[in-house]
Amino acid sequence: MIAITITAALSFAGGAADVESAAPPSQNFVVFADSVYTSAGEVIAGGMVRVRDGKIRVVSKGEAGEDDLHVAAVTAGMIDLSGRILSRLAVEQSSEITPHVRATEAIDLFSISWDRQLRSGVTTVMINPPDQNVIGGLSAVVKTGGPRSLAARLVKADAALRGAFGSEPSSRNHPAYGRPTDFFSRRPTTRMGVEWEWRKAMYDAIAAQADEARGFPGHELLMRAMRGELPVVVQAWATQDIRTAVFLIEEMAQHVEGGINLIIDAGAEAWKEPQLLVRSGTAVILPPFDHDGRTTDGAFMAWNVAALLVEHGVPIALSSHNGQSTSARLAVQGAWARRGGLSFEDTLAAVTIAPARMVGVDDRVGSIEVGKDGDLALWNGTPFEASSRVIGVVLNGELVVDPRGDR
Amino acid sequence: MLETLIVMAALGVGGDRVDLDSPLVGERTTVFRASTVHLGDGRVLDDGVVFVQDGVIREVGVGLEAPAGALIVEHDGALTPGLVALHGFEGGGSELLDSTRPFLPGADASSAFNPDHPDFGRSLDCGITAVVLSPPASILCPGTTAVVKTTGGVVVRRRAQLVLGLSSAALKTNEFPTSYAGAIAALDERLREPTGAFRAAANGELPLLLKVSTRSQIQRALRFATRHRLRGALYGSSWAEDVTDEIKASGLSVVCSPSDPGDAARWARSIAGLSAAGVRLGFGLDAPGRHPHCLRFGAAVAVREGMTPAAALTALTGDAAAIAGVGGRLGRIDRGLDADLLLWSGDPMDLASELVAVYVDGEQVRGRGEEE
Repeated sequence: MIAITITAALSFAGGAADVESAAPPSQNFVVFADSVYTSAGEVIAGGMVRVRDGKIRVVSKGEAGEDDLHVAAVTAGMIDLSGRILSRLAVEQSSEITPHVRATEAIDLFSISWDRQLRSGVTTVMINPPDQNVIGGLSAVVKTGGPRSLAARLVKADAALRGAFGSEPSSRNHPAYGRPTDFFSRRPTTRMGVEWEWRKAMYDAIAAQADEARGFPGHELLMRAMRGELPVVVQAWATQDIRTAVFLIEEMAQHVEGGINLIIDAGAEAWKEPQLLVRSGTAVILPPFDHDGRTTDGAFMAWNVAALLVEHGVPIALSSHNGQSTSARLAVQGAWARRGGLSFEDTLAAVTIAPARMVGVDDRVGSIEVGKDGDLALWNGTPFEASSRVIGVVLNGELVVDPRGDR
Repeated sequence: MLETLIVMAALGVGGDRVDLDSPLVGERTTVFRASTVHLGDGRVLDDGVVFVQDGVIREVGVGLEAPAGALIVEHDGALTPGLVALHGFEGGGSELLDSTRPFLPGADASSAFNPDHPDFGRSLDCGITAVVLSPPASILCPGTTAVVKTTGGVVVRRRAQLVLGLSSAALKTNEFPTSYAGAIAALDERLREPTGAFRAAANGELPLLLKVSTRSQIQRALRFATRHRLRGALYGSSWAEDVTDEIKASGLSVVCSPSDPGDAARWARSIAGLSAAGVRLGFGLDAPGRHPHCLRFGAAVAVREGMTPAAALTALTGDAAAIAGVGGRLGRIDRGLDADLLLWSGDPMDLASELVAVYVDGEQVRGRGEEE
């Protein structure tokens, strides 16, 4: 048990020569920890992190004085790429292919979900159009706290193109007997139909390159995706849907140079054919461990899926689905992955630097390194241990959740 | 000279109707003398005098000498401009909404104006001399508003504002749009190479009226308007208090949500906060669903929450007219404007004050016994 006996909000570490900074105390401070887990290949025992003006300024050894902010462990603020924070009002169901529709336009910064994520140590999430569409639109990476404006919270706009395989885009649709009464009579009703819509959209986009008259909203985004310039994040829980996704991108790579940078979201059954993922350079976001591994679409996820995928060299990230199906937050998903055999280093990476790299925001977030955003999770013990939890949060260099309580 | 004429025409100044420099003819002039004359822009004249001839205000001042033979109206109380109710459906009923498609930028609310409908008389009873008829924003783009008088069948301005429904009311379950994201994408597309009403809106000729409710809807509307440099007003103030600064920064005006007895305190706080921040305000009414009394009642509730009475009255008159694009003709007591005038027994923002008489275009249409 590590006692936390802190009284002052402001402290200065030796060696940090910026005492003259004009930043107010809440934006210029030092966190000391028994262990600083940097996600950059280093663990500093008896370390400190100084943040100032929103950024990490110093990462070093450091000994806390009696009045200093001192916790058991510090990690980078966690990242959840499967945000699932938007309502259905974020997906435009009047067409099944809406690559140009932006998730940011459906954001509600006043939702309580943000605070819930933030307080659990998740400082960055990717918001995705919900998966009622085949190709739902553009995802964005945002901070979970800070001023309630999109501009202030946006880390990366148009970070990925979001879509889905499997049953979700086809469920609730029904075949058109007679005259269709609304668009749910026309959309895919089967997995085959979903795959067909994907393929048609891709080939239509290629055709639109040669013939402007065949253009449709977002066709240039599909081309960027096929050239590998825009990651494609698709929901695919079950083996058959993961296979479909991989086979499709392999087919499209024969037509467009570059090839799709594929990320499978909710890839519960990615363990069944990991060589397929390795072959295609596919990354996987694992869904929260839930109901003893019985997930959506009949897909089964064992305890050891994360460990097994890493063993095969598949890049993975963990996710919590915003607590939709389980009360367990991202830190607890890390604990489940540890229970399944994933090493501490890989678990830490799977909630910090690995997801940051997948969508190209690792220049700003995902590790404790000088110059990166001041996003930190403060823990009361070793991260991902059953008895450990996030007790404090630093976001953009501000101590937004104080482990010493409301002060 | 030409420039002047164009400006006058654009402002709707009565130059084309009345020569303001012609000498006053006593027999055709009505002179109002009141203890206080509220000009509709926040200013008040004590013992003010207003000359009206041929339905138009000719002179405003203190100590003006009445022309011989003029009709004199002496009033121990307040004189204000007629109230302008923004956003209503008086007499329109279902005729104001064509829900067959999401985009109807060509729809014109004045085509649904039935001047004989009793709804207008009820508004007039409450001192409302002009209303903005609006297609309800339960589709994405239901059409344009029209400013009409509550008596006489006068259409003051057609195609006054282009209405866009950015609240959840415009989202559908089985037809486009089902989502905010899809609705915004479609609007962005319309403004890429705009035509028709969208072109007028993009050029700043046609102000927008953006229907919103929640804070996220307000933020979305502000981002949209800012992105395309659009001017106009938000309609919906109930949740504005947390986003007041952003609204102020956008330069948009706000049409306040109508009030009902029993509304949350937040309703009035939001309006008082917007007023303090310097956002131009007017009051919506949504009659006949709401009784026309709610217009002045709502302003009084906002005053109770800290809005100054002068700002509240301006929001009911001069600023309301300006938001509707008719500030050069209605809403203020000024030379050349329509003589739509109200006589009150006392301060109009005091709910104990009674409306004594109503004049529209210089003619008395409500009240009696004031003329000598």
